[in-house]
Amino acid sequence: MLRAGVITSSISLGAGLLLTLTGTAAALADLLLHGGVIVLLATPVIRVLVSISEYAQQRDWKFTLLTLVVLVELLASAVAALLFNRRL
Amino acid sequence: MPVVTPALALIIFVAGAVAGSLGALLGLGGGIFLVPFLNLGLRFPITAAAAISLTTVIATSSSVSAGRAGKQLINIRLGMLLEVATAGGSLLGGVTAQMLAQSTLQKLFGVISAIVAVIMLSRLQRRNVMLDPSADPGILGGRYYEDESGGTVTYRVKRLPVALVASFIAGNLSSLLGIGGGFIKVPVLNAWCGVPMRAAAATSAFMIGVTATAGAVIYYGQGQLVPALAAAAVLGVQLGSWSGMRFGQRASARWLKLLLAIVLFLISVLMFMRGVA
Repeated sequence: MLRAGVITSSISLGAGLLLTLTGTAAALADLLLHGGVIVLLATPVIRVLVSISEYAQQRDWKFTLLTLVVLVELLASAVAALLFNRRL
Repeated sequence: MPVVTPALALIIFVAGAVAGSLGALLGLGGGIFLVPFLNLGLRFPITAAAAISLTTVIATSSSVSAGRAGKQLINIRLGMLLEVATAGGSLLGGVTAQMLAQSTLQKLFGVISAIVAVIMLSRLQRRNVMLDPSADPGILGGRYYEDESGGTVTYRVKRLPVALVASFIAGNLSSLLGIGGGFIKVPVLNAWCGVPMRAAAATSAFMIGVTATAGAVIYYGQGQLVPALAAAAVLGVQLGSWSGMRFGQRASARWLKLLLAIVLFLISVLMFMRGVA
């Protein structure tokens, strides 16, 4: 799954980059690029989500909680990013 | 903000490839080399350099973790536990990076590069740690089958608090400077926490993906990431690390490490001087 994320984002980024360089379809290029970046950034997050559900299924509550905390920290960074944007 | 031209994209692609192959050969992320190149060589603002570098770290980490060798070696529980500390450090670092001046970050980078070089030199002779296969690894320890020795390696994790603190610091530096942080985690895990070298490297590779994400998200949200150039870098690094792993088996690690330690010292001085100027 991690591999799928890297491959998807790579293709998206690669295509977006090519389009940007040739100066055509700017809007599409932008979409591909930003989309690619978002997929790339999301890949570890999804991995954490998968871990959470795995530990929950195994009824390993300690680690379910731990991975949940990691998820919260990741989400907090997204919140921080948005907050900063508004202040500046 | 730099303008995206084909020439620039190509340069970054190549830089990424070099960084990626060095990273694959040495077990470092490419960030240590990519950030100075972008900041000193191409005159990118350090935040832009860090942002691009962090995305390559994520890509590398995800690729390595998905690999078949990774699956067995990665100690997921340990990684996740340390992630709590690392992600926290990374979050703090990302926020702090927005508030620190370029020169401060450059000086910090200079200091850290020197430390990395020293660590690398001190570990030139590192070897695996082997334990009795029937031993109990405990909740956090690991057990994996090692091809070269044809046996099962079991290990326990010791001195967890040390690992947690080191992970927090590594996460902090990761977001501040745009590097992976593995150079702290691997030696700490290996030397102080009883984790065998390859498991430490694999677990660290797994962890830095999450770490870099927290930092990268903040940079991205701040609009400091130039997606097109990040694209060039990511693709370059992937090519580099693939070829590094494919053809790097025969390279003499020892000479390479010596060479790289020298390069890192050089980088350290340059970055520090730039920060002071």
